[in-house]
Amino acid sequence: MSDIATSELLLIQSITKRFGAVRALTDVSLSLDAGQVHCIIGENGAGKSTLMKILSGVERPDSGNILYRGENVTLKSPADAQWLGIAMIHQELNLVDELSVAGNIFLGRERRRLGLVNNRWMNERAAELLKGLNCPIEPTRRVGDLSIAHKQMVEIAKAVSIDASVLIMDEPTAVLTRREVTALVQLIERLKAKGVAIVYISHILSEVLAVGDRVTVMRDGRSVETLSREKAQQIGEQGLASLMVGRPMGDHFPPRARPESRLALEVRNLSVPGKVRTATFAIQAGEVLGFAGLIGAGRTELAEAIVGLRRRDGGEIVVEGTVITAKNPRQAGKAGIAYLSEDRKGAGLTLGMGIAENVTMVSLKRYCHPLISRREEDAATRQHVDQLHIKIGGVRDPIETLSGGNQQKVALAKWLEIAPKVLIIDEPTRGVDVGAKEQIYALIRSLTAQGMACMLISSDLNEVIGLSNRIAVMRAGRIVATMDASGATEETIMYHAAGVVRQG
Amino acid sequence: MTQPQQPMLESMTDVPTPHRRWRFPSWSGALLALVILVIATAMKEPKFLQLSNILNILEQNAAVGMIAIGMTLIITLGGIDLSVGSLVALAGGLGILAMNRLFDKPVGDAAESIIPLFAAAGTTIGIGLLAGLFNGVLITKGRIAPFIATLAGLLIYRSTAMWIARGGQFFSDGSELFANLGNGFDIPGTNISRNPRRVVPMEFPYAILVWLTVAIVAIVILNRTRLGRYIIAIGNNERAARYSTVAVDRVKIIAYTLLGGITGIAALMNAANYTSVNSANTGILLELDAIAAVVIGGTRMEGGSGSIVGTILGVLLLGVIRNMMVMRGIDTYAQGVVTGGIIIAAVLLQRAGARRA
Repeated sequence: MSDIATSELLLIQSITKRFGAVRALTDVSLSLDAGQVHCIIGENGAGKSTLMKILSGVERPDSGNILYRGENVTLKSPADAQWLGIAMIHQELNLVDELSVAGNIFLGRERRRLGLVNNRWMNERAAELLKGLNCPIEPTRRVGDLSIAHKQMVEIAKAVSIDASVLIMDEPTAVLTRREVTALVQLIERLKAKGVAIVYISHILSEVLAVGDRVTVMRDGRSVETLSREKAQQIGEQGLASLMVGRPMGDHFPPRARPESRLALEVRNLSVPGKVRTATFAIQAGEVLGFAGLIGAGRTELAEAIVGLRRRDGGEIVVEGTVITAKNPRQAGKAGIAYLSEDRKGAGLTLGMGIAENVTMVSLKRYCHPLISRREEDAATRQHVDQLHIKIGGVRDPIETLSGGNQQKVALAKWLEIAPKVLIIDEPTRGVDVGAKEQIYALIRSLTAQGMACMLISSDLNEVIGLSNRIAVMRAGRIVATMDASGATEETIMYHAAGVVRQG
Repeated sequence: MTQPQQPMLESMTDVPTPHRRWRFPSWSGALLALVILVIATAMKEPKFLQLSNILNILEQNAAVGMIAIGMTLIITLGGIDLSVGSLVALAGGLGILAMNRLFDKPVGDAAESIIPLFAAAGTTIGIGLLAGLFNGVLITKGRIAPFIATLAGLLIYRSTAMWIARGGQFFSDGSELFANLGNGFDIPGTNISRNPRRVVPMEFPYAILVWLTVAIVAIVILNRTRLGRYIIAIGNNERAARYSTVAVDRVKIIAYTLLGGITGIAALMNAANYTSVNSANTGILLELDAIAAVVIGGTRMEGGSGSIVGTILGVLLLGVIRNMMVMRGIDTYAQGVVTGGIIIAAVLLQRAGARRA
């Protein structure tokens, strides 16, 4: 009993965290032992990142305790966490492009001699660290010139250089090549031998089974189950996937419409350098084609390429039989393709402007004779407000005064103004409350019933299955599977998305 | 293993936002400052409120006033144009050159002819439009930051003007209509001569009318046209505008060209007023006066919202301060201290107001 107590480095007890009305974490507990790898798996949005942010001092929990070597600690800032020896390898790279490799590794902890930065010492030490990672990058190279995989290795070297007792790795292998993954696995073994506790977050279940001493499954902000290594290997990747998605499907989806036989959108062999490889698919008029996949699988990039927001590397886009080559969303809009971005605040809406101004942003020409008729704008906005059940005060109120769901409906209304042939919606219900969600679903249904085609990108598998006619699964820039939605389960989609079942 | 469904997001009760209460416009601070300044000055200097002095202030500030209005559009767009001051010298100078070239000796009939005036106006406004177009293309297609692109323009236009004039002046050869443009029309019933029998009516400067016209057109553009709506949208969030099918580059180019054209008009009125252009001094630091007026008027430097009325108030505020300082005999060299202080005070006031709102 005492043995276990001493090896337990960090204990998280029933942590709860809310962001506004959204409960990100509910009663989550986790224990980390010295010299052990604890894997955390879960769907996008299951709460893994929030938990890690709390562990690394970026966010503070609303309730619950963190015990470090049996003592209650409060992590007020990343500096507090670092002081305790908790280091994190971030999923998004936090490197300064203009600095050298060594400069980045020792950023904020520069070794000084006579008040000046001792570059020689830092370069030598950085070279050692990188050699230990089997990754011989020159420490003097500018980080901005490195490949993304090498940047990740620098990030790893940086975390290791802190001599942390708890090391958090968030999707460390997402951008690494096989050789670097091998080096990483060796590094993990060495760190384990030194008694470091490692938190390993990954979507790749085979990796989890290979390195994990324990596996915790998170779902909807809760830790659903913690498995020993033996138990995890016994239930296998399929068992883990079931645990990750194992929530029953909602029945709040209206019945599917029967698509028309004519094709609304055809995409052939479309590539985006480094992001999407030869994507080919077609959507019939009245059909919803759902796009599932992990974050970074290339779904958004594919959509952006179709509407000309990204450079296309070959490929053909056909809308109702006409080949189009949109260089920007304006040309795409003229061809009948509307793209509702996943980044509602950054690209979907103009937050500083009013509701009516946002609604007529795309279709403004119609309201100019030649001066803008504010009366007509108001009338059109009111019509959308009634139709989409948008809750507003006045039609000229700032869009910022609306809730997420109502903002999303305004963003949709903006595109409905031009009656698109193809509607591409990216994460249409992210951050949207349940009531608005169902209204958005019903709206998509009624639009497709009128013959509009819909490309639905969503990380909510429940939504993809419930709303789509067919589902395309993307992994690493490719469409790896296309299936009929009526027979699809979250498990099968997850297998394809995580690469468990290889297609063709 | 199967757990009851746990909604990720709690249902939020949507409360319709009540109608916003009427808020003070962004330029209320500038208006308040102007009123206080006018009353204070008028109490010390009764001459200040005389029609001739008021018209004088308006005429003196008409050129910078027009340019500040164009600058409001550009700053609302999220841009900046530093080249306007130099452009006033170059466009005005070249206009005079074109006029002189057409008529070597504009005496007699030629001096009365309208053609030299057209030559000057066409050249000056044309050069303005061209320079604005050039700025716009550099910023959009050339992807040069507005500050840098127009800083280069500031240097190039001034230098070109000085190069042509060898650092000296461009003098009009004597077209009377051109000179008239710099004057105004008689105000009936006024007499500024001491001799009551010899009536010399007061003039209402054309420049003020032009300024007023530019202001009205700009107000309509900004508030009632697609161009204006897009300018505001781009200033708010360029990415969102592009995603919403706005032709961002085209809007920017048109806006910069518009400011260039307005600068050309200002240059014409300025050249006509003095019937000459000094290649080294005309329009010097005018870009900064224009930007200062825009800022005092409550337009956000980050773009996204702008007020033409506010800018006009800002120009008037700066003009009245200068006029007041001259009347009170404040050291010319110290006037910059006062003006700079006013700018800082105006911005601080606005920020305090914005926080309360």
